Amino acid sequence: MLNAIDTIIIDGLSFSLPLFIMAIGGIYSERSGVTNLALEGLQGMGAFVGGLTAYVMAQHMNPDSQLPYYVSLLVAMAGGCVYAMLHALLCIRFRANQVISGVVINVLGAALTGFLTKAINRTVFGAASDRFVLSVSDRITVPGISKIPILGAFFTKIYPFEIIIIVIAVIAWYFLYRTRFGLRLRACGDNPAAVDAAGGDVAKTRFIAVMVSGALSGLAGMCFAYSILANFSSSIYMGYGYLAIAGYIFGNWEILPSLGACLIFGFARSAGSEIVLALGMPAAYSDLVMTLPYVVTLLLLVFLSRHNQAPRALGQTYDKAQR
Amino acid sequence: MSAESKKYLKAAVLSVLVSLLAGAVVILILGKNPLSAYYNLLQGVGLAPKPRYGGGQSMLTDLSSYVDYWTPMIFAALSYAVAMRCGLFNIGISGQMLIGGFAATVLVGYSGLPAGIAKPLVVIIGILFGMAGGALIGYLKYRFNVNEVVSSIMINYIAEYVISFMIQTSYIDPVSRQSRAIGDNARLSFHQVLIGGYKYDLPIGFLIAIVTMLLVKFVFDKTVFGFELRAVGTNRTASRYIGIHVGSRIVLSMAISGALAGLAGVTYYLGYVNSIQPRVLLSTGYDAIAVGLLGNNDPVGIFFASFLIEIISKGSTYLQSQAGLEAEIADVITGLILLACACNFYFMERMGRKEKKHAERN
Repeated sequence: MLNAIDTIIIDGLSFSLPLFIMAIGGIYSERSGVTNLALEGLQGMGAFVGGLTAYVMAQHMNPDSQLPYYVSLLVAMAGGCVYAMLHALLCIRFRANQVISGVVINVLGAALTGFLTKAINRTVFGAASDRFVLSVSDRITVPGISKIPILGAFFTKIYPFEIIIIVIAVIAWYFLYRTRFGLRLRACGDNPAAVDAAGGDVAKTRFIAVMVSGALSGLAGMCFAYSILANFSSSIYMGYGYLAIAGYIFGNWEILPSLGACLIFGFARSAGSEIVLALGMPAAYSDLVMTLPYVVTLLLLVFLSRHNQAPRALGQTYDKAQR
Repeated sequence: MSAESKKYLKAAVLSVLVSLLAGAVVILILGKNPLSAYYNLLQGVGLAPKPRYGGGQSMLTDLSSYVDYWTPMIFAALSYAVAMRCGLFNIGISGQMLIGGFAATVLVGYSGLPAGIAKPLVVIIGILFGMAGGALIGYLKYRFNVNEVVSSIMINYIAEYVISFMIQTSYIDPVSRQSRAIGDNARLSFHQVLIGGYKYDLPIGFLIAIVTMLLVKFVFDKTVFGFELRAVGTNRTASRYIGIHVGSRIVLSMAISGALAGLAGVTYYLGYVNSIQPRVLLSTGYDAIAVGLLGNNDPVGIFFASFLIEIISKGSTYLQSQAGLEAEIADVITGLILLACACNFYFMERMGRKEKKHAERN
């Protein structure tokens, strides 16, 4: 039997970690100098492609197989990555306003996935539906450790994607802070002219950074689709992308502090819904609880934004001719 | 019209054509006729005759209903343009619409005041509450350096859920699952008015929208304030050096932008419709970005751009019923227009380069 605190930890983690991996993607993009408001659209597109794949695979396979689950995570990363190339193309090649480009990606993403989900359901599967229903994800409970009070909850009913996210996050941290590529990427966001002078390719580095952010957002979107919705539908666009953005702004564009922010959002959310349940409040009150992560975000931003230092060349197109 | 605007117009027309073409390809892939689909759009908004009409309906009925639908978008796009003029991205228009619309619904919509008092009061309350919502975002930006995009999105969600909570606990209509309908005394559009045997929807808001558009145009082009907004939007540091109080301009432009969004809210929630659906944020705020981009943030440009975008949006219902295509195709086409417009700067530059080369050769 799980008590309330355990539930808060379990649900909080499964919400925080996808948010965190998406925030890392945002950090990659923004540290390289490309403003990325497109996270919301990227995660939605990733979830759409991944959800479609899992849906198709599940129809041809043994329902107990967990293969569609892992394949869909991979495909979601690929989908987010490809869609992010559009953002990179607009910002880097076409020198569009990066904020506008981000919003374009979000609006177009929501429109395309909403339309395609319905159209594919009608033409291919012959069903009038606006969603792809997914199989239920496995949950892992580590024997032994999970019995420890409170701390054990961190090892109880883990989604497999949580482990994948932690592994990827460690790798992403290593690349950003400990390799020559990471150094160059961070330099592109602060002083692209210097990178250019040292023989680096600013456009290429930024392009790769945006693609990484797309892949990580796609993964996050697929995780949300599994953990929160158990389907792909347009309700994937709940503003999680913007929460992730708030997360890394709050984390001052550094990976570890951003993890803290994402954990706060996650636990605020799960604690809120636990409280509604515990006090037996009517369903309408869940609307008030839903605002918790957003309120927390806004308050944190109010208190912390003043001391924040965004990457210096953030949002500026790098023009060689102006050096 | 200046050479620059002419070039922009060319680029804008081009991006619309390219988007419609891309949309046509999608429609073709789905096995439908794109030309008849686009004709359905026009039929749906009363710009082309439908094969048959119900009793008391005509092409002009559809057209009047379309104008009623179009009105909020004019305000919303003007709202986007005022903030953008100052270099701010007001993505919270939908939220400010909801705040203004909800406040007016609760304070005046159920009051039973005489129409002569209620209608102006609705407009004023919409302006005030929308303004408060916008000014808050501007103030957070100015005082605490909070990114306006993130804060307006957060406020969007907070407004959506808090208002949904209030509707569901106090103002719900148990049958429609929406807020209780407001009285006709407070509604800004006259619906189903019988003139000469046909019924029309007559929005008062449309007249206000035209006056507002001209007013914004005047402020942009002819006043010091309009110039200061553009200066701050172009270069904040330089504006500070020449003595413009940047912070107050930021807050003011967001306040005005919010007020316009509030107007969009009351003309939608207390005009085109008469109730609020809980837990739903209109897409008008996002479509307004497409309109603003397409109209080059010029009030007159916006007027025409919104006319076009709203044809696609409103006509899609009829398109769905006639061609059996998903109405969401309208969002896709709008998104494509948005995408093409985002690249406009690049294409205009290329056009400029080509002309230059051409001139050099001669």
